Amino acid sequence: MTSFKLNLEKLKNNGLQKGLDTLSLITLGSLLIKYTVTGQLKLLINPNYTALVWITSMILFVLGCLKGIEFLQGKKTASLQESQHLTLIPPLLSSIILLTAIGLGFLISPQVLSSQTALSRGVTESSLMTRTQPELFRTFSKPENRSLLDWVRTLNAYPEPDAYKGQVAKISGFVIHSPQLPDNYLLLSRFVITCCAVDAYPVGIPVHLNGTNKSYPSDTWLEVEGQMQPEQVDNKRQLVLVPKSLKIIPTPSDPYNFSGN
Amino acid sequence: MSQLQDAFSLFLSLLVEALPFLLIGVILSSALLVLVKEENIIKRLPSNPIAGALMGSCIGFLLPVCECGNVPVARRLLMKGVPPAVTIGFLLAAPTVNPIVIWSTWTAFKDQPEIVVFRVLFSLLIATIIASIFSTQKEIAVLLNPLLSKRIKYAQYSAKKDHQTNSFLQSGTFLINKPGQPIRLDSSSVLAATALPVTLPPERRWETFQENLTQELRELGGMLVLGSAIAACLQIFVPRDLILHLGSGTLTSILSMMVLGSIVSICSTVDAFFALSFASTFTSSSLIAFLVLGPMVDFKSISLLLSVFKPRMIFYLLGLAAQLTFVLAICHSYFF
Repeated sequence: MTSFKLNLEKLKNNGLQKGLDTLSLITLGSLLIKYTVTGQLKLLINPNYTALVWITSMILFVLGCLKGIEFLQGKKTASLQESQHLTLIPPLLSSIILLTAIGLGFLISPQVLSSQTALSRGVTESSLMTRTQPELFRTFSKPENRSLLDWVRTLNAYPEPDAYKGQVAKISGFVIHSPQLPDNYLLLSRFVITCCAVDAYPVGIPVHLNGTNKSYPSDTWLEVEGQMQPEQVDNKRQLVLVPKSLKIIPTPSDPYNFSGN
Repeated sequence: MSQLQDAFSLFLSLLVEALPFLLIGVILSSALLVLVKEENIIKRLPSNPIAGALMGSCIGFLLPVCECGNVPVARRLLMKGVPPAVTIGFLLAAPTVNPIVIWSTWTAFKDQPEIVVFRVLFSLLIATIIASIFSTQKEIAVLLNPLLSKRIKYAQYSAKKDHQTNSFLQSGTFLINKPGQPIRLDSSSVLAATALPVTLPPERRWETFQENLTQELRELGGMLVLGSAIAACLQIFVPRDLILHLGSGTLTSILSMMVLGSIVSICSTVDAFFALSFASTFTSSSLIAFLVLGPMVDFKSISLLLSVFKPRMIFYLLGLAAQLTFVLAICHSYFF
């Protein structure tokens, strides 16, 4: 009798579980669709994987709809299958964990990684660690057309600072206050992503300011136009940008550089 | 506060990156459930434990899944009656020894093809050695998660029962599944009745496939959420600089890349690109150690592995994998 009651209880729970499964699949699919449509996916993974995420979101969404139809029709067959599956954590708890993560995903939008993370990951000043051999060396590109990453790659291929003396540069990036630099310098940086935000690593070029760097708080996005000059900073001779104009810009919609694209 | 936000963004990033691969794994696992008869697999497996372990390590070529997707497939193989040695071989080698991962590693390290070759060779070797060691254990219940071993026993019991139907009237509560085929409503019989879906009529296969897909996605998805959360926190709160500073010596560089490989729970299909970021600062041996150990040991897969093995077994499995990787990486740095 007791086991009969327990099993009835189980069947009721299966109805609830089916509802939660439907909700999890549809919301998870929707979350991925939201990231793809709003362009937030670019803050999470390399755009090379967009199609994969898109297909995944569609499969999850369709699967959720199929489950939903079954749930509304009140099909009982699947409730038997429930006991066939092994669970390390109870199914209800799994659903709660999934739904909590999905809920948080909807509530809190992914953000660009902060300068604090850049510092903890060890920002590489004027040297790029991504390739054993430089993948791109634009000797023919005009200096003023080079992006921050192009500059870092160029420096990586030919690291003699004097070779670039007086060249015009116009680059944008976010501000890092590096503890190794004096307070009239800031590090203009960008994150480079190979696969996803997990492997993002920062690269940067020091900017020599006229005054203190306090007027440009960390994580502010700047567009700096100026001339490259070799200077002795942090006990090493390196290339720094001496600005002619310095403009605060809004965070761009594609704040990361992606290597391999 | 910004660190918390960064940790959350990394968590989402890991989740979004791993989900497609988890889905591929779960789809393959569910397809195995409804399409593959266990006798067909077992018939083709060599009886020699070492050959079995090697074959298990090579199954990844047929079922290309990364470490987020190989656990459901491994679990399904165990349930289908595949010996643990073969399954362990598959579990450890499949995330590396499969065409997709070899292709992505080749793309990343075109100028250092030896990294691709040693990654595959070392993974095969380690998986075969560990699988052979565990093949000496005849009683598989000692190795497995108690719930899983129970489930396998029921599957075997059910298989026997299929051949010898008990004609005696049985007591208990029954559900009417199909006319003339009631199912007894106690847990063991329900398990037994649903244990061999291959015997299902074709029209129910789609339903079973879909049901299994949902259940595995729910469970492994829940674990992926937990694993990604832990990995994201470690990424933010353990400064990577600290690990990188260790990269100067031969021994410390290998050790630190092994630690990094375990901390960064990145999919094996894409980890070669991640390793590339360290190509100019770390030795080839340490990169190989990262690429070999990472797919075998990471926080995400540990949480998934708990659904297959006992915690002590996972400790031995991963401990051995780490030691063998270390020894092989040192040999590599010595001879190449």
